[in-house]
Formats: sequence, structure tokens, C-alpha cells
Amino acid sequence: MSRKKRIICIVFFFVVVTFLLAGIILLGTPKPRPESLSETMRDAVMHETMKVDLFGLTVNPGLISAFTVTGIIGVFCLIIRIFVIPRFTEIPGKFQMFLETIVGLFRNLAKTNSPHKNDLLSAYIFTAGVYIFVGTIFELFGFQAVTTSGASVALPAPLSDINGAICMGCTSYLFILLGGLFNNGIKGLLGGLKEFSLPLSMSFRLFGALLSGALVTELVYYYMTLSIVLPVLVGVLFTLLHALIQAYVLTLLVSMFYGEVSEKAPPKEKKKKKQKNKESKDKDQSINNIITPEVSK
Amino acid sequence: MNLPLNIDWQQILLHLLNFVILFGILFFFLYKPVKDFMDKREESYKKQRDDAKNALDEAERIKAEYEGKIAGAEEEISAMKAEAGAKTAEERTRMLEQTKTEAAGILEAAKKRGEIEHDKIIAEAQQEIADIVTTATEKIVLSADVSKSYDEFLKSAEGNAKNE
Repeated sequence: MSRKKRIICIVFFFVVVTFLLAGIILLGTPKPRPESLSETMRDAVMHETMKVDLFGLTVNPGLISAFTVTGIIGVFCLIIRIFVIPRFTEIPGKFQMFLETIVGLFRNLAKTNSPHKNDLLSAYIFTAGVYIFVGTIFELFGFQAVTTSGASVALPAPLSDINGAICMGCTSYLFILLGGLFNNGIKGLLGGLKEFSLPLSMSFRLFGALLSGALVTELVYYYMTLSIVLPVLVGVLFTLLHALIQAYVLTLLVSMFYGEVSEKAPPKEKKKKKQKNKESKDKDQSINNIITPEVSK
Repeated sequence: MNLPLNIDWQQILLHLLNFVILFGILFFFLYKPVKDFMDKREESYKKQRDDAKNALDEAERIKAEYEGKIAGAEEEISAMKAEAGAKTAEERTRMLEQTKTEAAGILEAAKKRGEIEHDKIIAEAQQEIADIVTTATEKIVLSADVSKSYDEFLKSAEGNAKNE
């Protein structure tokens, strides 16, 4: 391509972009939205008007998202189970490596934070992590659902629905409590109950984080002038970051608390005793050194 | 019951149901098979490593055994060498001793023979002297010239001394 041609192409490109922008701006005010900004925002939080019909029940769109996510993950897992896992090899291929990395990641997280008991914990945080991550990414695809009033609504992240977030937080807390109860008896249960604010904090952390992403995206899309390049940064990056961060934070918290409540008491005491013995020995030695430095030398 | 933020127990339970289903699916279709596979592979690697370690230990043991054997052989060789050296030294001393004795014997014999020879020569010389003296005396007696006979005697004695 000669230099002249290239210059012509670049100029042509910019002229097209300028014309398009000018046209968009000149074609006047967009039609007024059916609902105001505050209404949109309020609805994103409260889900008062945008309800979806599910087998006769009127539910929030978040629940539909949750079921859709489960369906997608289910189909995906089934395909993997049938076609990929029987063909696993000793030396992993790329996809096998990917699967093993994910499973290994959560297993390591469970092992490092809860070294005493972690079989069920790693399965739980694996599920929770995958659910939060995929559920949040799901928001990006913008699947549509029909509301009871006949309008269409983009399916949000399942956990940006407060019910979903509360369910996740409380399930995690329950899981920690049960883990303490089964591994450590009443003591473990009490250790879990000590953290009574945990379900609230976990629920609302998830809800707040995911909702904030949704709200910012909503806000950006509400004004058309903002929706040219910005959504790529705001929408996609917010969603991706939230997906990663929230999945990591929740799984880390669950495994940390689980490790705390499932830790057996007796070994701890032994350790302390050993340390004490060691300390006293050290003291004795230092005293000996002071008294008879030549002998110790 | 109206809770703030439109929290709905039914929907929470529905979410929970969804989560339990998801847990089942993920656990049985993805997590467990992958985990089992990883564990199995780890087990097999561990077994391989153990086998290799055992083989290595066995090899080390055999090596040590052979090294011990070699060291024993070397010791034996050095002992044999020392023994041989000692034997040689002994032999040498013995031979030296023998040679010395022999040499002394030869010397002794030679001395003896020399003495015998010496004695014999002296005896012969004495015999000759006696003969000369006799002859000279006879001559002197026969000529009866004392001075002449004295000279004759001296001459014959000188001649004898020159001959010897």
C-alpha cells in the first residue's frame, strides 16, 4: 500500500466517523425514556416493577439469571464430563490444564487456609467461586427476559439481586457453622456463632459490589452521549474485576473461617506447651552461659 | 411479611435450591472427576518416585558392597606385597650372609695357601743358601786361599741375593 493510499484511507475513516457523530448529535433529542433515572436506579435495587413470571410466581430477574447460569454451567459440565474427562491424559492438553488449574486453585486455597479439614470445603468454595464468577460475567451477555408488564429487561447478575446475595451469604455462614459442628463439636459451633455478623457482611458485600457495577453501567447507558466508548471500560472492566474480586473474597473468607472453626483444640495446646518448654530451656541455657561461659564454649 | 429492600423468603429459597442444584452438578460432573484424576496421577507419580528411590537405594547398596569387596582385595594385595617384600629382604640378607661367609672362607684358604707357599719358598731358599754355602766352603777349602775364598764367598752370596 503506497503512502498516498494510506493517507486517503485514514482521512476517509475520520470523515466517516465525524459524519456519523454529527448526524447522531444533529438528529436531535432522543425519545423520552419510559422511566426516569431515579426510577431506573430504584428498580435496579428494589425490583419493584420489573418482575418476571416463573411458572406462576412473580420473581426478580436475578432469579431467572441464577437459573440460566445454572443451566449454562450444567450443560457445559455435562459436555465436559462426557467428552473431555474420559480423554484426560497424563500430560495435560490446554483445556485439561485449564480445568485442572481451576480445581487446583480452589483446592490449594482450601488447603492453605484450612489445613485440618478441607475435602468438602474445597468443593464448596469451588462451586461458590464458579457461581459468582460465571454469574457476574453472565451480566455482560445481556440476555433478555420478558417482564410481567410485557417490557424486556436485560438479565442482571444473579447476585446483584438481594435475595441471591442473602442466599449466598447465609449459605456460606451455615456451611461454616456446620463445618465447625461436625469437625469440632459444640466448640466449633460456638466458634462459628461468635462471628454472628458474618452472614450479614458477606451477603451485603456481594450485593453491594455487584449492584454497584450494575448501577454504574445502568447510569452510563442511561445517557446516550456517555454510551459511545465508555461502556467498554466501565461495563466490561467493572464486571470482570467484580467477578474476579468477589469470587476470590468470598471463597477466601469462607475457607479462612472454616479453617478457624474446624481447627482441633488439642494440637494447639501441645504446640503451646512445646513452645513454653523450649522457652524455658532457652532461658536455662542462657543462664548457664552466663554462669559458666567457658564450659559452654 | 414485608421486609425492607423487597427481601422475599420464597425467592431466597429458590436461590438456595438453584445453588444446591449447581453444587450437585459441579461436584459430580466437574469437580470430582477432575480431582480424582489429579489424585490418581499424583499417586502414580508418587509410586514411580518411590520405585525409582527403591531402585536407587538397591543400587547404592550393591555399590557399597562391591566397594567393600574391592577395598578388601586391595588390602589383601598390599598385605601380599608386604609379605613378598619381607621375604625378598630376608632372602637377600641370607644370600649376603652366605656370600660373606664364602668370601671369608676363600680368603682364609688363600691366606693359608699363601703362607704354605711362603714357607715353602723360604725353605727352598734356605736350602739353596745352604747348598751355596756348602759349595763355597768346599771351594774355599779346596783352594785354601783364605782371602780369595772370602771374596768368592761374598760373590756367590751377592749372586744369590741378585737371583732371589
